[in-house]
Amino acid sequence: MNSPGLDEEMLTRELKALASEMNQLEAPDRVETEVLEAFRARKVVTPLAFRRPNASYYWLAAVAAVLLIAISVVALRWQMEDETPAPRVAKELPRHDETVTPAPVHQPAKDVEYQALDNTPKRNERKPTRIPRVRRSENLPVANHAEIATDFIPLRPMNAASFQDGGQIVRVELPRSALASFGLPFNMDRYNEKVKADVIFGVDGMAHAIRFIHVR
Amino acid sequence: MGQMNLKTELNDCELLRSMLAGDEEALTVLYRRRQGAIYRFALQMSGSKTIAEDVTQEVFLFLMREGHLFDPARGSVSAFLFGVARNHVLRRLRVEQHLAPIGDEFDDDVPSLHASTEICPLDDLTRAETIESVRKAVLSLPSKYREVVVLCELQDISYGETAEILGCAIGTVRSRLHRARALLLAKLRPASEIEEADSATVKSARCFA
Repeated sequence: MNSPGLDEEMLTRELKALASEMNQLEAPDRVETEVLEAFRARKVVTPLAFRRPNASYYWLAAVAAVLLIAISVVALRWQMEDETPAPRVAKELPRHDETVTPAPVHQPAKDVEYQALDNTPKRNERKPTRIPRVRRSENLPVANHAEIATDFIPLRPMNAASFQDGGQIVRVELPRSALASFGLPFNMDRYNEKVKADVIFGVDGMAHAIRFIHVR
Repeated sequence: MGQMNLKTELNDCELLRSMLAGDEEALTVLYRRRQGAIYRFALQMSGSKTIAEDVTQEVFLFLMREGHLFDPARGSVSAFLFGVARNHVLRRLRVEQHLAPIGDEFDDDVPSLHASTEICPLDDLTRAETIESVRKAVLSLPSKYREVVVLCELQDISYGETAEILGCAIGTVRSRLHRARALLLAKLRPASEIEEADSATVKSARCFA
């Protein structure tokens, strides 16, 4: 600056002079060309929403999300409550359709089990999603009644000490000819079918006894 | 051509609406109407012709992509464009560390500063030098002060619209402008005055000591 001093008025004047000096400046033509080419390339056809979504839309979305989460949590808890007795029944009543089931000792159905089944929540009957599970549970005693089991046949010398440290009964499927190998009668017409059997394994991993299950 | 003339009578909102519906002429009219101000704003903010061109292009490309974000209730199309331009300029300046005073390329853009054929060549030269000093002083301001000077003083935009562009209160614009002008005055003081002021400060300090 060559001026001796610059006050507010002079500054305003100088700024206006600068503004007027630059007032004629414009972007080069090639910028317009590029913008228009980009427009043609994009073929902009945006729906005329034209308005930024109001904040109320965001609030509505947030409330809907919270409601959805709450309903999901309630449904999940409801389902968990309903599923709580299911493992107990399954534990007490081994399934019949498993090929090899590490099941606890097979016992015939008891009154306690029937009671447990009778005490199933009535909501189960209303909810279509739970109908199959309830129906299968109801069928379990029937299946148990249909079973006829032989006594355990020892496969090796057994004594009480063999099972002092525990053991495990495993249900397996065997060829029906296995019945013959134990001297048991079997239906020759069903020779190609398999027969279920419970095998007692000791803690040593050896099979100690076997019994055959006949399902009618 | 006649259709283009009809388009020029439309306001910015209507042009933007037509452009978003795929009308190329609307974009052309809107571009020609607003590109100069956007280009100058970017140039005055950055001091770089390259950045100003890029920003101008980016602003209108953004308008094509995100033009539906414009809300007439929140301000004018012009303010919307300036806001977009401001964001792009600041981003470019951050990336390129271009906050230093302008380079030589800017000088080529201002031919009138040197090529004027007024009556007195000496006065003209002095005036051009003064304007150049002011321009450099503006560019050396911190960005938050520079933008209010550019918008309010150089672009002659009202405080209200500047507040919309910057997304702040009018009072903030006023206070920033006041502070920016004080900084400009301090920067534009002649070196002799600065030396005098410094020596006066030292003398007074010695007196108090």
